[in-house]
This record gives sequence, structure tokens and C-alpha cells, in this order.
Amino acid sequence: MHWTEARDLVRKWREDNVRKSSELIEIWENSLKDKVHKLGDEQYQVLEQVCVGALDCHRIDVAEYCLKKLMAQFKDSSRILLLNAMELEAIEMYDDAIELLDALIKRDATNPAPRKRKIAILRSQGKTVEAIKELTVYLKRFAIDQEAWQELSDLYLSEQEYGKASFCMEELILHNPHNHLFHERLAEIKYTQGGFDNLEQARAYYCQALKLNRNNMRALFGLYLTAYSIATSQKCVSAKKKEAHNLMSFAMKRISQR
Amino acid sequence: MASTLHKTITTVGLIFIFHAAYSAAQHRSYLRITDQEFTSLPVDIVVQGILSLFLTMYGVMYIAGDFKEIRATEELQSKTWETQRNLPSFYCFNHRGKLLRPHFHQ
Repeated sequence: MHWTEARDLVRKWREDNVRKSSELIEIWENSLKDKVHKLGDEQYQVLEQVCVGALDCHRIDVAEYCLKKLMAQFKDSSRILLLNAMELEAIEMYDDAIELLDALIKRDATNPAPRKRKIAILRSQGKTVEAIKELTVYLKRFAIDQEAWQELSDLYLSEQEYGKASFCMEELILHNPHNHLFHERLAEIKYTQGGFDNLEQARAYYCQALKLNRNNMRALFGLYLTAYSIATSQKCVSAKKKEAHNLMSFAMKRISQR
Repeated sequence: MASTLHKTITTVGLIFIFHAAYSAAQHRSYLRITDQEFTSLPVDIVVQGILSLFLTMYGVMYIAGDFKEIRATEELQSKTWETQRNLPSFYCFNHRGKLLRPHFHQ
């Protein structure tokens, strides 16, 4: 692969927020490593990206290389120190990582990144309950952090706290009312939770997700299953049963069209 | 995208605008020399100015790049849950990547 192609691909992954770490490292070693100086100012972003990807694949040698290059350019930058802490995390030196992160928080209390890393450390240590507690404290201070709401929803799901997880998803929908994925996700949580009222809500959210993106296959299947459960539920009155059957045939038709 | 035709149209339009402006300046200096009172610009200069403005606008629209979809949902249609659920600031490195590492291409 030519280095300009590699640069464009890597940039696309960076902008679209794709986690393809092993592919990224492969591209880095085959085509980008020797040409990185040709990228101009973009090279530092690429180095940061490759560094995180290398940690993800546990390629500490690659991460060290990138980190050294970045250190030479930006001494004492908190963003680089954060990468440093991530490296410590990857080699499981959690106490040192936390010490470094605490120093970073002390240096700039308004910087959310080190606080988030501390929560990630708790998660990778398997302390989900503590992570949830820390994250709720964090969200009291940084209530507009969408990533954090999403992470909290994830953590609650792993603890089977569906009610709380759906609250986080509602918060995300308030932030992005046009994103079909959040509607779909909330509907999935409601469907998993079960019970007639929740199923009704799941149906509404699946419909909204489909309204925003008519090609969302997962939402179509979800809508079919939800409508099926509503139709076979004992609490369902006959008027609603008919509506559920209509929805089922609508979803089936759309699915078979694809 | 930006064809030579549209680039030519824009350039011609800009030249005409400058020409109109120059003519207007010339007209003012002519009036000053002949000691006449300024009432309004001659019709041909006004018409030239307005027409060349529209010409330039037409050309620039094609040069400036593609239009963006006005509906907010359009941009999110191609997004998948795979990229939406990916949260870089909460990455955990304590996963199978460590054990699978020898099997990666090196």
C-alpha cells in the first residue's frame, strides 16, 4: 500500500472512530513507519493513534517507539503523559498509572481525560461496582459527556441494572435526538427488561429508530420480535393485538425486501 | 467536480464586476470634471454589475464543492453500532489481545 493511501485510510478510521487495532499496526509497519515524517503536522495524530492501537494489541515495542517520538516533540504535555499512563495500564502497572493520573488531575482539574482513564482502570481490574460509583461522581461534574453516559449504560448492563441503563440511554437521546442507534439501543434494553409496559415502550422506540433510518435491519428484527411478544401477551387487548399484527407484517415485509 | 467551464464562468463574472466598478469610478470622475451633480449611475453599469454578480454566484456554487444534506438524520444513516459503541477514552487493555498477540502478523 502506498503511504498516501495508508494515510487516507488511517485518517478515515480516526475520524469514524473505528477500532481496528491489529490492521492499524500492520499498515503502520508495512507502509507508514518510514514515511511518517512526510505527513507534516498530521504525523503526531497518527503517532497517537498508532500508540493506542499498539497498546490494544499489546505491541509494547511499537507503543514505546511512538511515545518516544511524541515525547521528543511535546515535552511534558498532558496528552502525552496520558498515553504514558495508558502504557502503564497495558503492562498492568495500575498503581503507577493511577499515581500519574492523579498528578495530571491535580495539574488541571478541568481535564476530563485522566478521570475517565481512572474509571477505565477500575473496569479493567474487574471492579465494576466501584467503576459505576466513580462514573456517577464524574457525571455530576461533567454532565454533558456523552461517552461517559454511554459507558455508564454499558456498565449498568453488565450488572443487569436495566432500569438505570435505560435512564443513561434516555440521557443520550436527549443529547442526540436524531441518532437512530440510541433509539434502537434503548428499545433493546426495554425489550430485554420485559413486561408489558416496557414492551410497549420498546415498540415505540424501535418505530422511532426506523423512522430516522428506514434501513436499520436490527431495528426491523427487534420491532418484529417486540410486536410478536405484545401480540401473544395475555394483557393485550384485542385492538392492540391487531395493531401489533400489522406491525409484524410491516416489519416482515421490509425484512424480506432486503 | 469544478469543471473548467465553471471556473471560466467565475473568472469572467469577476472581471465583469471589476469592469463595472471601474466604469462607475470613471463616471464619477467624468461628472466631477464637467461640474455636474451626481444623481444616479447609468443604467448599463447597474445592469452589468447585477448580471455579473449573478454570473459569479452561479460559477462559485459549482466550485465550492458538494452541498451537504440538510436533514440531520442523513449523516447518521451510515453509522453503525460498531463505531458508535467504540469509546476511545474508556479503552480497556486487559483483554484477549495480549494472549492473541503471537498470532498477529509481525
